[in-house]
Amino acid sequence: MIATKKENFLLKLRGSGTIIRYILGILAGGYLLWRLYRVFIVQSAFGLETWTRLLIAGLVIGSVYALIAIGYTLVYGVLFMINFAHGEVMMLGSFAGFFVLEATRAMEVNGPGGVATSFSNAYPGLAILLAFVAGMSFSALVGFYLEKIAYRPLRKAPRLIPLISAIGASFALQNAALLLFSPQTRTYQNPDILTRGQGWRLMINDSAVILPYTGVFTMVLSIILMVGLILLVKRTRLGKSMRAVAMDKDTAALMGIDVNKTISNTFIISGILAGSAGVMWGLHNGLLHYFVGFLPGIKAFTAAVLGGIGNIPGAMLGGMVLGLLEALGPAALDISFQLKDVIAFVIMIVILIFKPSGLLGEVLSEEKV
Amino acid sequence: MKIKYFVVFMLVLILALGACAPAAEAPVDEQPVGDGSDDPCAADDFGCAVIQPGQTIKIGMSSPMTGPYADFGIDAQNSGLIAVADAGQVEGFSFELVAEDDEGGAEGGAAVANKLVADQTFVALAGPLFSGATAAAMPIYEAAGIPMMSPSATAGFLTLEGSRVFNRLPFVDPIQAAAAADFMFNNLGVRNIAVLHDGEDYGRGLATSVKDEFEALGGTVSAFEGITPGEADYTPILSTIATQSPEVVYFGGYNQEGAVITNQMKAVGLEDAVFFGCDGTWGADYLAQTGANGEGSIHANTRAPEESDVKAAFDAAYLSAYGVGPVVLSPFSYNSYDAVTILTNAVKSVAFLDADGNLNIPRGALVSEVRGTSGFVGIGSYSCDAIGECNVEGPAFEMIVNGEWVVLD
Repeated sequence: MIATKKENFLLKLRGSGTIIRYILGILAGGYLLWRLYRVFIVQSAFGLETWTRLLIAGLVIGSVYALIAIGYTLVYGVLFMINFAHGEVMMLGSFAGFFVLEATRAMEVNGPGGVATSFSNAYPGLAILLAFVAGMSFSALVGFYLEKIAYRPLRKAPRLIPLISAIGASFALQNAALLLFSPQTRTYQNPDILTRGQGWRLMINDSAVILPYTGVFTMVLSIILMVGLILLVKRTRLGKSMRAVAMDKDTAALMGIDVNKTISNTFIISGILAGSAGVMWGLHNGLLHYFVGFLPGIKAFTAAVLGGIGNIPGAMLGGMVLGLLEALGPAALDISFQLKDVIAFVIMIVILIFKPSGLLGEVLSEEKV
Repeated sequence: MKIKYFVVFMLVLILALGACAPAAEAPVDEQPVGDGSDDPCAADDFGCAVIQPGQTIKIGMSSPMTGPYADFGIDAQNSGLIAVADAGQVEGFSFELVAEDDEGGAEGGAAVANKLVADQTFVALAGPLFSGATAAAMPIYEAAGIPMMSPSATAGFLTLEGSRVFNRLPFVDPIQAAAAADFMFNNLGVRNIAVLHDGEDYGRGLATSVKDEFEALGGTVSAFEGITPGEADYTPILSTIATQSPEVVYFGGYNQEGAVITNQMKAVGLEDAVFFGCDGTWGADYLAQTGANGEGSIHANTRAPEESDVKAAFDAAYLSAYGVGPVVLSPFSYNSYDAVTILTNAVKSVAFLDADGNLNIPRGALVSEVRGTSGFVGIGSYSCDAIGECNVEGPAFEMIVNGEWVVLD
């Protein structure tokens, strides 16, 4: 009797919670619409050229977020844990790419026409390719050993334990980078064809909008990588075994799938994506130091949740949406740019109020949660 | 049963420790017997630091030595080490520089302060370097009677809170802001500027003052915005500022963000605007990170000291010890050297030997001695006023031309 009463009370509470949630959500949404109306209709402060610039910035940062977010989502898919050290994996890949570009920049070769020039300017494509290979393979290596050292021994432990281990791994990698590479801020040495700030000029309203080469490069490459990943997951044996392990580890093992190997492969793939995101980050933004992975890591994790964690297209969408919210939000709502994270997160909360499983997330079974 | 044994064991342990303690403390208890009235240690507000033979007199330093502002802290430490070596000995005791990393922030500043004041032989602090760390650490040094001499903390309010212990060598932010606004309005002749800051104590304070001063002169501040420090992409905010077509973008903050903004201004329609920085965006780091994009940008810097024997000797010592010249990593090399020298001079004038051959340094007297600095001539010349401002000279403005800093007048 008592138990039933309690249950009834809890049910009622949950019911009223939903109503309050919806009321809050509608109020917040209404407020946002009102701000949008004021900026666009009443003030119409910015012209098309400004919006184009903001859109470009949002798409570029969004595609980097998306690549990193996929790493979170993949690992969550197979292990149901958040790999908080993922941002650091990206940072280490960025360093590997940096050293390759630095080396190719320092190497003197006879370029076309017999003029002495640096390797990275004579063969920019090759130099960039080498940087990506270095960044991806180093990050893949870090991801592989990270899982072996920090997560595998805790596979059977309660869910919070690997989470703590992940946070510890994040600190350990950060400080390892601090000791190895010194605290100095490095500047990425791009080959001249990818000079930062240079790009195609679009004339909009008599004002030049620059479509930066590095930004376009970042977007195109992320899309290629994402398409490749989807094909890998959908079409290959490796992808099939990953999906099987994500569904049910024990049954997958019974069907003859090597679960440990599949999990290792998942970490390698997420490392490859993080490494390429790291090199792109360096090429586009130019900044590199031991702490550079932290902020994008947190943002990408948020993006993965926004898209529905465990869902690959969701992570991509979430990353793009977060990038666009950050870039367009403050201008569209006429709020200080210092609060852009607040705006992005408030909008995210509003979305999650109406769709708690994320934009593309499916409702997880009790067992998975 | 096991618990009982454990309790008995603990009791025995406590008794044993209790028995040992008086024996260990005995030599310390033997304070020199003085008259009370003419014992400077008893009369002193904070008592004396007692340095025993074999120990060193510790001068602390609290600066960012890791992270994005590490160059500032490393430079201050380099300069401080030379100053300590030049200071020589006092009554056979030598000085030691204890440089701690505060990462430039409030948490770090307080943590370093707590760590340093726990050491009885720590007598004075050359720092903290950054205003945020200083504001958080000041009460801790105040309570311990540690005189502070900051080479570079410039936030205006620091000396206005009635601190006995805090003094500083740089020109302060309100003076820099007034000079910058005047320079933009009168020397550059611009009327429409945008003002950005990083939201920290130093940057926001400076930017606010610049905005007020520039508007007081009759100019227009068409945008006043804060950014989030540590990010790598500020193009959205710069794009919205570009719609106001400002002639100058003033930035109050530090190198990392300043360099990112400078680089991205070219891509968002601000290519004709001049980046106008402060003394936080000055140094080799900024040059390296901006390259060609930094050309033509203007920054504030401490006025170059006049040539002197002290400066020549310091320049040579710095170059031979670290392979680069002073005032490359940060603009505060000379200030750091002078700050440490002022402190060691003050220690020399108040320290005395007691009957046991220990060096006594009355802390309260040291605080007054540092505040009373008058007519000090090191690399620069300083006299401290009643609230601890030791320099009222304004900044010089320098433009980057072909990768070099050129002083404008």
